[in-house]
Amino acid sequence: MSNATVAALPASKATVNDQIKYRSQAVAKPYFVAAIGLFIGQILFGLIIGLQYFKGDFLFPAIPFGTARMVHTNLLIVWLLFGFMGAGYFLIPEECERELYSPKLAIITFWVFLVAGALTIVGYLGLPYNVLAHLTGNDLLPTMGRGYLEQPLITKVGIVLVALSFLFNLSMTLLSGRKTSISIVMMLGLWGLAIFFLFSFVNPNNLVLDKYFWWWVVHLWVEGVWELIMGAMLAFVLVKVTGVDREIIEKWLYLIIAMTLITGIIGTGHHYFWIGTPGYWQLLGSVFSALEPVPFFMMTVFAFNMVKRRRREHPNQAATLWALGTGVMSFLGAGVWGFLGTLSVVNYYTHGTQLTAAHGHMAFYGAYAMVVLTMISYTMPLLRGREANSAAAQKLEKTAFWVMTLAIVGITLSLTAAAVTQVSLQRLSASPLPFMETQQHIMPMYWARFGFGLCFFTGLMMYVTSFFVTGKRES
Amino acid sequence: MSASFTKSTARNIFYGGSVFFFLIFLGLTVDTTMAVPSHNAKAQLTDAAVRGKKIWETRNCAGCHTLIGEGAFFAPELGNVYVRRGPEFIKGWMKAMPTNVPGRRQMPQFNLNDAQLDDLVAFLKYSSQINTNNWPPNIEG
Amino acid sequence: MREQSLALTEAQPARHVPECHVPGDLAMWFFILAELAVFGVFFLVYGVYRRQQPALFAEGQSHLDLLLPTLNTLLLIAGSACMVAAVKRFAQDRQRAARQSLLLAMVFGSGFLVCKLYELVGKFMAGISLSSNDFWMFYLSLTVFHFLHVVLGMVIVAAVWWMARDGRYGPGRLDGVETAAAYWHMVDLVWLVLFALVYVAR
Repeated sequence: MSNATVAALPASKATVNDQIKYRSQAVAKPYFVAAIGLFIGQILFGLIIGLQYFKGDFLFPAIPFGTARMVHTNLLIVWLLFGFMGAGYFLIPEECERELYSPKLAIITFWVFLVAGALTIVGYLGLPYNVLAHLTGNDLLPTMGRGYLEQPLITKVGIVLVALSFLFNLSMTLLSGRKTSISIVMMLGLWGLAIFFLFSFVNPNNLVLDKYFWWWVVHLWVEGVWELIMGAMLAFVLVKVTGVDREIIEKWLYLIIAMTLITGIIGTGHHYFWIGTPGYWQLLGSVFSALEPVPFFMMTVFAFNMVKRRRREHPNQAATLWALGTGVMSFLGAGVWGFLGTLSVVNYYTHGTQLTAAHGHMAFYGAYAMVVLTMISYTMPLLRGREANSAAAQKLEKTAFWVMTLAIVGITLSLTAAAVTQVSLQRLSASPLPFMETQQHIMPMYWARFGFGLCFFTGLMMYVTSFFVTGKRES
Repeated sequence: MSASFTKSTARNIFYGGSVFFFLIFLGLTVDTTMAVPSHNAKAQLTDAAVRGKKIWETRNCAGCHTLIGEGAFFAPELGNVYVRRGPEFIKGWMKAMPTNVPGRRQMPQFNLNDAQLDDLVAFLKYSSQINTNNWPPNIEG
Repeated sequence: MREQSLALTEAQPARHVPECHVPGDLAMWFFILAELAVFGVFFLVYGVYRRQQPALFAEGQSHLDLLLPTLNTLLLIAGSACMVAAVKRFAQDRQRAARQSLLLAMVFGSGFLVCKLYELVGKFMAGISLSSNDFWMFYLSLTVFHFLHVVLGMVIVAAVWWMARDGRYGPGRLDGVETAAAYWHMVDLVWLVLFALVYVAR
C-alpha cells in the first residue's frame, strides 16, 4: 500500500499524510521527539547520581550530586510537559473535530520552551547555583532552591508564558469545536497544571508555610491535576485502539478521576505530618491517602476491561501494551508503593528515607512516563503516515517496554530494600547509626539499583531504535 | 441485576466531589495557616534566619540533604543538625569541605564568609525549633 | 454494565419476572462507597485513639449535650422518610405531592444544620479547635465533615427539586430521585453511627 512507501520516506518529506485527520495535529511530532530526547538526558543524569551513591567522588567537583540530581528531576518534568503538550496538540483537534487554532503559535511555543529549557540546564551545569540565582533575578523574588522548583525566576516566568500560549491555543480550538468529555478533562488537567504551578512563586520566609505551599505544586500536580491529564490520554488511546463505545469509556473516566480528586486533594495531608503543621493532619492525611490506591486500582481494571471488550483488533499492539502497562504500573507505583509509607504511624519511620525514592521512581514511570509513551506509541506511527509500525518495529518496542518496566521494578525493589535497611538501622534501632554509617550498609542495594539503571538505559535505547526499524508492515 | 450508570451522573459527581473536597481543603488550609504560629511558638524566625534561608536555597542544599525529611536522600538530615552537632561544628564542617577522601561522597566548598555562616546556622537553629510532632524518631534524623 | 443488563433483559422473554434493580445511578453508588470508606476509616481510627486515651475521651464527651443531637437524629430520619415518600409519589406520578416531599426533606435538613451550627458555634466560642486535643480533633473533624455532607445532600435534593419542575421524574423515570435519596440515606446512616460513637457511647 501507499503507506509503505510513505513510511520509507524521511518523515519530513512525506507527502500528504492521510493517517491524521487534521493537518495541524502534525505539530505534536516535534514535541514528542523533544520529549524522548530529554528523556534520554534524564536517564543519563540518573545513571550519574546512581553511581555517585556508591562512588561518591565520581565526576566531583565538575558535576556534584546536587547539580546532577537537579538536572535529573528537572528533565523529567520538562520531558513529561513536552509529552503532555504534544498529546494536547494531537488530542484536542481530533476530539474537537477541527484544525488547531494556530499551528504557527504551537511551533513558536515549542522552540521557546526547548531553548529556555536547554539554557536552564546549561545554567545548572555551567554556573555555580548561587551565581545563576543572582544573575537571573532570584534576589527580586526568591523562588529557587526548593525541590523540583529549582528553575531560575526567568525560567519559571517562561514556563508560565509557554503554558499560557499553549492553553490559549487549545482553549480556542476547544471553544469552537466539538466538546467531548475526554477533551474537557484534558483541558481541566492542563489548566490545573498551569494554575497550581503559580504556587512555585510562593515562598514565604516561614519554613513551615514554604513547605506547606510547595506541596500545592508538587502534590496537587502529581496526585491531582496530572491524573486528569493521564486519565484523558489513556481514555483517548483506549477509545482508538479498542473501538469500545466512547460513552462507556468517558463515564468511567469521570468516575475514576472523581475518586482521584476525592481522595487525593485532602490526601495532600500525608505530607503535613511533620513539617510544623498541626497534628490533625496525621489523622486527615492518613484517612484520605489510605484510599488513594482505589482510583489507581479502578484505572487498571478499567484499562483491562476495555481491552477485553474491544470491538476491533487495532494493528498497533504496542500502544495497547503501553496502555495496559500504564494501568498496572501506576497502580503498583502510585497506589501500592505510595500506600506503603503513607499512614502517619509508618511514615514517622519512613519519612525522608529511600522509600520515598522507591515510590517516586515507580510512580513517575508507571503513571506519567508510561502514559506519555502510550500516547507517543499510538500517535507517532500516525504522524509518520502509517496506521501502525511494522511488526519488527513493534516487536522491538514491546521488548523495550518489558526491559524498561522490569528495570524499574528492579530499581524500586533495590531502593525498597535500601529503605528497609535504612529504617531499621537509623530509625528503629535501639542504638541508631548515623546517616553516613547507615549508608555504608546499603551499598549493595545501591549497586543493584545502578545495575537496573543500566538495564533501563538499554531498554530506552531499544525503544529509540524501534523508531528506526523499517520492515514489512503487518496487514 | 440492573443499574443505570449515566455519564451525566458520573460527570456531576466528578465536578461536585472535586469542588466539595477542594473547599474543605481550603478551609483546612485557613485553619493551618492560623494555627502555625502558635503550634511553632518556640521557632524564632530572626532576620539572620531569613537570610540563612536564602543561603540554604541558593546553594541548593536540598539537592543532597533533607530538611525535616524533605529534599534529597544523599546526605544527612539537617532539620535537627543544630541540636545534633551544634553551631561551631557546622561552621567548621562547611569550611573543611570537600574532604577529597577517595570514593567518599563529596560536599562542595561554598566559600561562605563568617557572616553568611552565622546566618546559615541561624536558619538551621530556627529549623530545629520547628514543632515537628516529635519527628525524627531519634537524633540521627 | 448497562449493555450487560440490557442483554440480560432481552434474553428473558417474560418481562413480568421481578427484576433485581439497583435504585439510582451506579456512579452515585461508587461515590457512596468511597464516602462510607472514608467515614469507616475515620471511625476505626477513632476507636483506636479512644482505647489509648479513655479518660481524655470520656472527659471530652462529658461536655457534649445530648438533647440537640437526639433531635438532629430525628430530623435526619424524618428527612430520609421524606425522600422515600418523594420516590413513591414520583412513581405514582403525583408531581405536586412529590415535590412537596422534597421540600419537606430540605426543611428537616435545614433544621439539622441550624441545630448543628448552634452546637458548633458554642464549641468554637469555648475556644475549642482542631488542635485542642485528640478528642476535640475527632469531634470537630467528624461532625464538621458530616455537616458539610448534609449541606451537599441538600444541594443535591434542591437540584432534583428544581429539575422536577417540568415533570422530568415519573413512573419509570426515577433514577435522579433515587440517586439523591440514596445519597441522603448514606448521610443519615453515617450520622447514626457518628451519633452512637461520639455522643452516646461513653
